[in-house]
Amino acid sequence: MPEIKRFFKRSEATIIIGCILLFVVFTLVDARNWYSFFTIRNITRLTAILGLVAIGETLLILVREIDLSVGSVYGLVAIAFISFAPTIGVPFSFVVALVVAATIGLLNAVLVLRGRLSSMIVTLGGLFFYRGVIYVATQSTAPSLTADVTSQWFVQLFGGNWFLGLENGFWWFLLAIIVFSYILFRIPYGNHLLATGGNPESAASRGVSVQTVKTLAFIACSLLAGFAGIITVADQPRTGVTIGQDVELEAIAAAVIGGALLSGGKGSIIGAALGTYFLTAVRSELITLGAPSVWYISFVGFVLVFAAVVNTFIQRRLMKTHTL
Amino acid sequence: MNETRTPLIEMRNINLNFGTVQALRNVSVNFYEGELVGLVGDNGAGKTTLIRILSGMYAPTSGEVYFGGKRITRFHPKLAIDLGIETIQQTVGLCDNLSIARNYFLGREPVKRVLGFIPVLDFARMRQASSAVVRNFGLRDTVNVDDEVALLSGGEAQSFKIGRAVDFRNKVIIMDEPTNHLSVRERAHVNDLALQLRDQGLLVIYITHDIFQVHRLADRIIILENGRKVVDIPKAEMSAEALEQIIRDGSHEAVKG
Repeated sequence: MPEIKRFFKRSEATIIIGCILLFVVFTLVDARNWYSFFTIRNITRLTAILGLVAIGETLLILVREIDLSVGSVYGLVAIAFISFAPTIGVPFSFVVALVVAATIGLLNAVLVLRGRLSSMIVTLGGLFFYRGVIYVATQSTAPSLTADVTSQWFVQLFGGNWFLGLENGFWWFLLAIIVFSYILFRIPYGNHLLATGGNPESAASRGVSVQTVKTLAFIACSLLAGFAGIITVADQPRTGVTIGQDVELEAIAAAVIGGALLSGGKGSIIGAALGTYFLTAVRSELITLGAPSVWYISFVGFVLVFAAVVNTFIQRRLMKTHTL
Repeated sequence: MNETRTPLIEMRNINLNFGTVQALRNVSVNFYEGELVGLVGDNGAGKTTLIRILSGMYAPTSGEVYFGGKRITRFHPKLAIDLGIETIQQTVGLCDNLSIARNYFLGREPVKRVLGFIPVLDFARMRQASSAVVRNFGLRDTVNVDDEVALLSGGEAQSFKIGRAVDFRNKVIIMDEPTNHLSVRERAHVNDLALQLRDQGLLVIYITHDIFQVHRLADRIIILENGRKVVDIPKAEMSAEALEQIIRDGSHEAVKG
């Protein structure tokens, strides 16, 4: 049974089985609604937004770091995009907003790597700090885009629905899965990133610049969170003080459910995407079935721990059966 | 030893301080091609610190390092690897979470172009090169290069690292306690490999606590103590017992070769 063993060695094995079970259960319970276009469109949209953040979080978890600030960065970049658009035009505003995101990522990296601080502390500080900036920015007016701005093609590129009636954000998400899977598993940088997460000392001894690898991962994580924010407001240009709240925790949960090990070096982009899909699908279905929304939060907690237990068990088991 | 040859590596008056701790004190030492040098000393004597300068992980506080007659001014693992200096350590050098093939070229992965412009890791080459080492350096026949390194035994991991070092046409192989935690047979295998490398004309620096083991292998023995070089002698001139006595006594007086 080497094929079966090979399958379970993949970090996304658990979540693939989880998603199959999800389909079976929801088909049995609520087929009519589950396969409705409305549900599919809703789930794909939410998966795309959270999934982009979860991909970035996965990159950092892979190198044994974490970014707790993504929820606030997501909100701040979205607000920056909206606020600058009327004065400098949408394309420039898009670029400026992403520069803001990249700068935050770089700042996180510098504080963690140069300052030798825990990424947990640095980004927790960022979570509060950028949320505070959002409070200030939305104090007098909650920025939003006017109809003539949102109808521009550049905004539609991120917020419209051009193919199959699904949001463009979903296609961007699929593109991000492909691009980041390619980066992670098909080019030298990805190999360096996985090595850095697995054994930073060994990676360094082979000439891999652990600092550069991690810095790029921090920047990518912030950029993806910001991009997710832009996609959100390009579709629904409303903001408020709570925009992006709790996104960081859901993204981390999605990454872990998708098979990323917090000990580093193990995880995948597809796993993070499926983990996100699993969470958003369950949330959507619980709402449809009329369950109180508080159930969802408890459910996330349960699935998170359950997935961690299963993944750890599988990894240990596989290593045991393989060694001499 | 032919003293008229130019040394491959020349270290002159090396001092290295970590804060107030002086890890190396005025160490001068030459290393030649085709030589197996045993670097011996107690814990904290400065063995590992000395070779970490050669492997580019530390820069000396003062002193000069020459490689092939050229002064080295910048110290970085990547630069050391580019010069052909490979350090083999028990716990470092391979990432358990990656496949053997992915570990093989770590840091200098071969890339091919798909459609003429998209760079992609050249897995065929990675598998081929790593399979050759797996076959030629005494790993089990059942080892698959797509398996994680975590599945190798300690001796296999060491053999694989040595094989990689040879394949990359290195000039210097530094072996830091290469036989710790290995079985008797694996230890003999690794020591055989060290001798083979020397016979191929490489400089092998062999670091160990075990003076008796290295006395059998080495051409020359260097003993460090408290960051000082106290012995630098062709092995024929001194017995392992006498050398052990020096380490045990903690004599600070330098013994001339």
